[in-house]
Amino acid sequence: MDLEFSEEQEAIRDMTRALLEEHSSVEIVRQMEDDPKGYPDALWKQMAESGLVGALVPESYGGGGLTLLDAALIYEEIGRAMAPVPHFVSGVISAGLLLEAGSEAQKDEWLPKIASGDAILTPAWLEPERGYGEEGVQATATADGGEVVLSGTKLHVNYAGAADRLIVLARGDAGVDLFLVDPSSSGVTLTHYLSQSAEPHYKVELDGVRVPADARIGGAGTGWASYGTVLHQGIILLAAQAIGGAARCLEETVDYANTRVQFDKPLGAFQALAHYMADASTRIDGGRVLVHEAAWNAAQGRSIARFAPMAKLFCCTAYQETTRACAQIWGGVAFTIEYDTQMFFRRAKELQLSWWDVPYLEELVAKDVLDG
Amino acid sequence: MDFDLSPEEQKFSDEVEQWLVEHHDPVVMDHHRENFSQLSDTPERRAFMKKLADKGWLGMSWPKEYGGQEIEGVYEFILNEALSKHAAPQIGKGVGIIGKTLIRHGSDKLKQEFLPKILTADVEFAVGYSEPQAGSDAANMQLKAEKVEGGWKLNGQKMWTTSAHFADWYWVGARTDPDKKKHDGLSLFLIPMDHPGLEVQSLPTIGKDTTNQVFFEDVFVPDDYLVGERGRGFHMISEALDLERFTMFTLSPITNRTDLLVDWVKQAKRDGKPLKDDPQTRKTIANIATDTAVAKALSTRFICAAMKGGKPPTIQSSQYKLFTTTLSQRVCDEALDISSAAGTIREGQELAPLLGRFEGAYRATMNETVGGGASEIQKNIIARRHLGLPKNF
Repeated sequence: MDLEFSEEQEAIRDMTRALLEEHSSVEIVRQMEDDPKGYPDALWKQMAESGLVGALVPESYGGGGLTLLDAALIYEEIGRAMAPVPHFVSGVISAGLLLEAGSEAQKDEWLPKIASGDAILTPAWLEPERGYGEEGVQATATADGGEVVLSGTKLHVNYAGAADRLIVLARGDAGVDLFLVDPSSSGVTLTHYLSQSAEPHYKVELDGVRVPADARIGGAGTGWASYGTVLHQGIILLAAQAIGGAARCLEETVDYANTRVQFDKPLGAFQALAHYMADASTRIDGGRVLVHEAAWNAAQGRSIARFAPMAKLFCCTAYQETTRACAQIWGGVAFTIEYDTQMFFRRAKELQLSWWDVPYLEELVAKDVLDG
Repeated sequence: MDFDLSPEEQKFSDEVEQWLVEHHDPVVMDHHRENFSQLSDTPERRAFMKKLADKGWLGMSWPKEYGGQEIEGVYEFILNEALSKHAAPQIGKGVGIIGKTLIRHGSDKLKQEFLPKILTADVEFAVGYSEPQAGSDAANMQLKAEKVEGGWKLNGQKMWTTSAHFADWYWVGARTDPDKKKHDGLSLFLIPMDHPGLEVQSLPTIGKDTTNQVFFEDVFVPDDYLVGERGRGFHMISEALDLERFTMFTLSPITNRTDLLVDWVKQAKRDGKPLKDDPQTRKTIANIATDTAVAKALSTRFICAAMKGGKPPTIQSSQYKLFTTTLSQRVCDEALDISSAAGTIREGQELAPLLGRFEGAYRATMNETVGGGASEIQKNIIARRHLGLPKNF
């Protein structure tokens, strides 16, 4: 047993942290809040040039060919910096779907562009009054000659305003399929919504959108299985992101608790407050090892059916609870826009609700533990 | 990074596991005794410990000159986890804090008298630190040790001496220098448990087994049985906890209980329907399984820090103990909630689910968040040493 990272991995972490400290400062993150595009070009360009955007894309497609464990380090830094980038939707989920199920032509066309940051892809998945499960996908995919006609409404499509392609989940004759869709196609309407984290969410209305038959990623009816495989990998990274956000929020709170004086003592000298922070640190440090264990198992090619949902379930809850406790220590100022605590507070809740929420993750774990 | 045991460690782990299966004995290994199962408190259990000694599994990490093998402490961790998984007695105080302290600080006489017996499992110890006025404030021991001709005269009282009713020797902290600072006025003594003037009074607990209070009335201890240097008692106690970094509070009893609960839920029925299909039960199981994985992660973190050597893994062990003991109680609590009214039936009766394992465990684990450093003490340690917050008490 050994929990140390290699020198190369430490170097990836250091490089990412330095890059994000410069290009994703709190000022920059604040400027991007509620922005319809949602990310600064300079940051995205820097991340692309340093290999972070294409980290998970194989070297043969111009990426870094890193493992999920390497990527977990990057995602902890993304969480720390609250970096406003479409990395997850494009570099993790879309790239993952293409790698998992895409044709050679699709991979050749899109993976190099995803890796270089020149193209942004984002999945169009969730629907109104529908849940996170397979039955939640009710948009229709109807074969018509050599083409497929897509109709339905998609919600929470992150960064769609900047996307070159959507990966639309729609129901065909054989089940759920994945389709590459140009958002500028006739019949596609995008509407920007503000979200709690201030990351852009889009409603995507598909009204008889015609795509060629070869726009489908993978065999007929295999879309949901591919999506599940990729999302299991992805949520490990979101768990790492949660740990990064929680750790930084706690660090800033500890600094404050050491300097802010009430009743002639620093706040940290009050056990009631110190114990909130001790509890938070225990969850963060435990959650971080769980993330690494999940990512390590993935990198070893072992099953992550149990570890992945456990990691997201635990770490996102730890993040949410940490920000709640930190707000209690900051007191009234935590409630103001001026202070940064609220930025972690909002992001923690959105991350917990997104990409499989608590009930869905609990059921994934329960299924693996009880029904196996 | 590697979450697996090394091949050699795995081989040892497999060997221990196989040996324990082959030597299964329900008299020695009784899960219903919960945390008390670690004690070697009956003739059968002492005989079992002698078999472990014959295997060479006692004192593995000791220096060779004292009969050890000088192998890494992780092997003792692996052994203790396996023993506790099977509810067998564990290598404990003798091999751990007492043996290791004697090796570092004991006189030749004490080393010769005790170390060989520890390795052959021929001596059991009780440890006396806690007192009525020295609970979490462990350095506040008041047991009086007065210098007399040829030795010391001890008067006062100890509390929570778990093994006093069966141990052979008592490892006791007493105040030899009341004029010095609290931490510098304590010394350690070894006293035969059947010494005249020692009175052991049983304190039955809701955890089924008993702990004890021990009264001292003019108990004479010869100079030879003061351990190490006078006035260094508290420092040796603290150091021993650091030396004994691998055989902490074991995780196996908790993973055992989680597994047991899962296996029970998988086959239980309520109102004719499988209990495992109940949405609330599924939610509970998912969270317990997840938190058990986190407890294991914290255990791995603590052991990896211990294996690195150097600074003792105080922070990691505090986080592990805080999280794990809280979870341990929660597992029992949730198991009883899932059992519903049947959870009220006292352990040992067949009307109770799993013969009342969780009813008993619910009571037996009450003390886990208190004994061995209460949760609040762990949080103070984490707050100060890990987070760098100011002293808060």
